[in-house]
Amino acid sequence: MARKQTRISRRMLFAYFVLVGLILLFAPPRFTNPFRLTFARLFRWPLSIGRSVTLAAARTRGPEEVVSMREYTRLKNHLANVIEQRDQEHKKVEELSGLRVKSDWDRMNLVLADIITVSQGGQNELIINRGRADGLVDGQFVLGDRSVIGTISGVSSEAARVRLLTAASRVAVKIVELKGQSLQAIADGFMEGTGNNCAKIPLCSRKLEIKEGNLVFVSKQNKFLDVPIIAGRVSRCKTDDEEPVLWDITVEPVCDIEKLRQVAVIVTNPEQ
Amino acid sequence: MGWVRFAVLVVVAAVLQASLVDVIAVTRFHIKPDLLLVLLVFFAVHCDPTEVIITSFCIGLVADIIGPMMGPRMISFGLIGTLLADLNRVVVLKKMSYQWIAIFLVGFLTASVAWFLAFLRAEAPTSGIYTEFFWTPLYSAIIGPFLFSPMQWWMRMKKRKVRRF
Repeated sequence: MARKQTRISRRMLFAYFVLVGLILLFAPPRFTNPFRLTFARLFRWPLSIGRSVTLAAARTRGPEEVVSMREYTRLKNHLANVIEQRDQEHKKVEELSGLRVKSDWDRMNLVLADIITVSQGGQNELIINRGRADGLVDGQFVLGDRSVIGTISGVSSEAARVRLLTAASRVAVKIVELKGQSLQAIADGFMEGTGNNCAKIPLCSRKLEIKEGNLVFVSKQNKFLDVPIIAGRVSRCKTDDEEPVLWDITVEPVCDIEKLRQVAVIVTNPEQ
Repeated sequence: MGWVRFAVLVVVAAVLQASLVDVIAVTRFHIKPDLLLVLLVFFAVHCDPTEVIITSFCIGLVADIIGPMMGPRMISFGLIGTLLADLNRVVVLKKMSYQWIAIFLVGFLTASVAWFLAFLRAEAPTSGIYTEFFWTPLYSAIIGPFLFSPMQWWMRMKKRKVRRF
């Protein structure tokens, strides 16, 4: 007997696909993340090569980003002085307290990861080649060039997604001013990414003396961040158009994400 | 329709879109062409309606996999691709200028639908409005028709004489 061939009409086929699309649209991210991370893991090699070519092309295309030798020497000396002052302060604290002091940076566990690809759609996400097997979990902070660039927002066994601070995310920050060799706190608030490679800090009163060039640090977060770390710089500060008693603050990251090859994930052990 | 060749073409386009296309991105807003959009228009113009439904939704799914969110582009590509296939029965996109316009309009419409669907999910926009709605479709429209010939060769489709301008 000939097998009856079931034929699906075009309308039914269209409806099935739309249904699948709607299911994927409204499914929680933990169900849809594995698709994207699996793609990144399967095609890690060509994606990495493509990214290397892109970075090399950006380097040859753009203007040389150099400082003069004199400025470089001055900054290097300044860094050496700051490190020495910090070590001296640690020694004083050890002598006074009788306890061995370990700096917060030394207590942090960092996992280095290569960037596989930057997710399409405004460069707001990275995919890295470390995952659950390396101790990564959602919410951990990610560093690029020693500054916070984002948080882990999806993990598979061998890959993870990093949602950048400039994406639609919210993080507690503090605005500080560099005065000589010390940092003076000006305000605390929440930084919200705009999706356009910058972020905003809303609800800052105009009574606060915030100006362009002030630094923005991500505040200590329970479990994930033991010490404030720099994230951005105030690039624009003007009166809010809708609320004249508030500032309209725009923050740009201090790290050039486009040129990054590697990032570091802060893997902290809360019990320690 | 060679489905294996289609799958290889889509995967290659996705990998290129996720990595190498950044080389030809312009301005500080990182405007680059959308290869998957070009693929969508190509198959909508060259395949029969049932095949267009399948290819449009599959290309949209792959666009979502390399994008920030699952769902919006699968639905928007499927909807607009199917509409374009129906339109192609009335207005044949032979001329290159028609293909430019088609890619630009399809890019604008798919961006609109995807934006609306992302809004339903209460997700903030991932990039600037002007980039998504205008510059990316424009850039894709400029280079898209030149990619049709190699895609026709790969898919072993009959070459139609393209009237330039």
